[in-house]
Amino acid sequence: MTDLKLRVKEMIIERLKLEGMAPGQIEDQAPLFGDGLGLDSIDALELVLGIEQVFGVKIEDEAAGMKAFKSVQALTDFIAEHRKA
Amino acid sequence: MTDIQAHLPHRYPFLLVDRVLEREPGVRVVAEKLVTNSEPYLQGHFAERPLVPGVLLLEMLAQAGGFLEAEPLHGAAIFLAGVQDARFKAPAFPGDRLRLEVEAEGAFAGLMKVKGTVSCEGRSLCTAILLVKRL
Repeated sequence: MTDLKLRVKEMIIERLKLEGMAPGQIEDQAPLFGDGLGLDSIDALELVLGIEQVFGVKIEDEAAGMKAFKSVQALTDFIAEHRKA
Repeated sequence: MTDIQAHLPHRYPFLLVDRVLEREPGVRVVAEKLVTNSEPYLQGHFAERPLVPGVLLLEMLAQAGGFLEAEPLHGAAIFLAGVQDARFKAPAFPGDRLRLEVEAEGAFAGLMKVKGTVSCEGRSLCTAILLVKRL
């Protein structure tokens, strides 16, 4: 697991209070919403705020969110792409 | 001076904001509610010792949060979607002038996260995070 992906998983667990869950239990390709982790719209807002706080990356609108929240892998790629090095 | 009834759809006996003192849409609002003996809910809460129900302090913060929206809320339904970390530190009594401070923490896809504090004479009575959904 890359360093960034691990930090993304840790941020998800901490921000959404997924107590008892380890980063290794979140699949890279599983969808965050719906069938995967089963997150809802309030979780989406928490993630948007967490991503901004931890990685300094803004998810501006729902279109960007749709792309970024497809999976942990997609979110990691999104952060890597938009983060100022 | 903000026209409260022009902005919020709430009316007596459920309009719980008397004045808006400071207002920066999307950022921060400070409002005020003077608790009077004639508030209907004080009749039974409680008969011998009237005090404002804690859930109504949350409602006051939610209504104050309505002023974070730049546009009037008539016709636009706005709902409480969540309450997090609510703390009630001391009760509010008739005669108290309550200061309602709300700050926007962020928004995404029609949901807004708001941090609120109810205080009286510099003393914090209630703090909570509210999630507000606009449809």
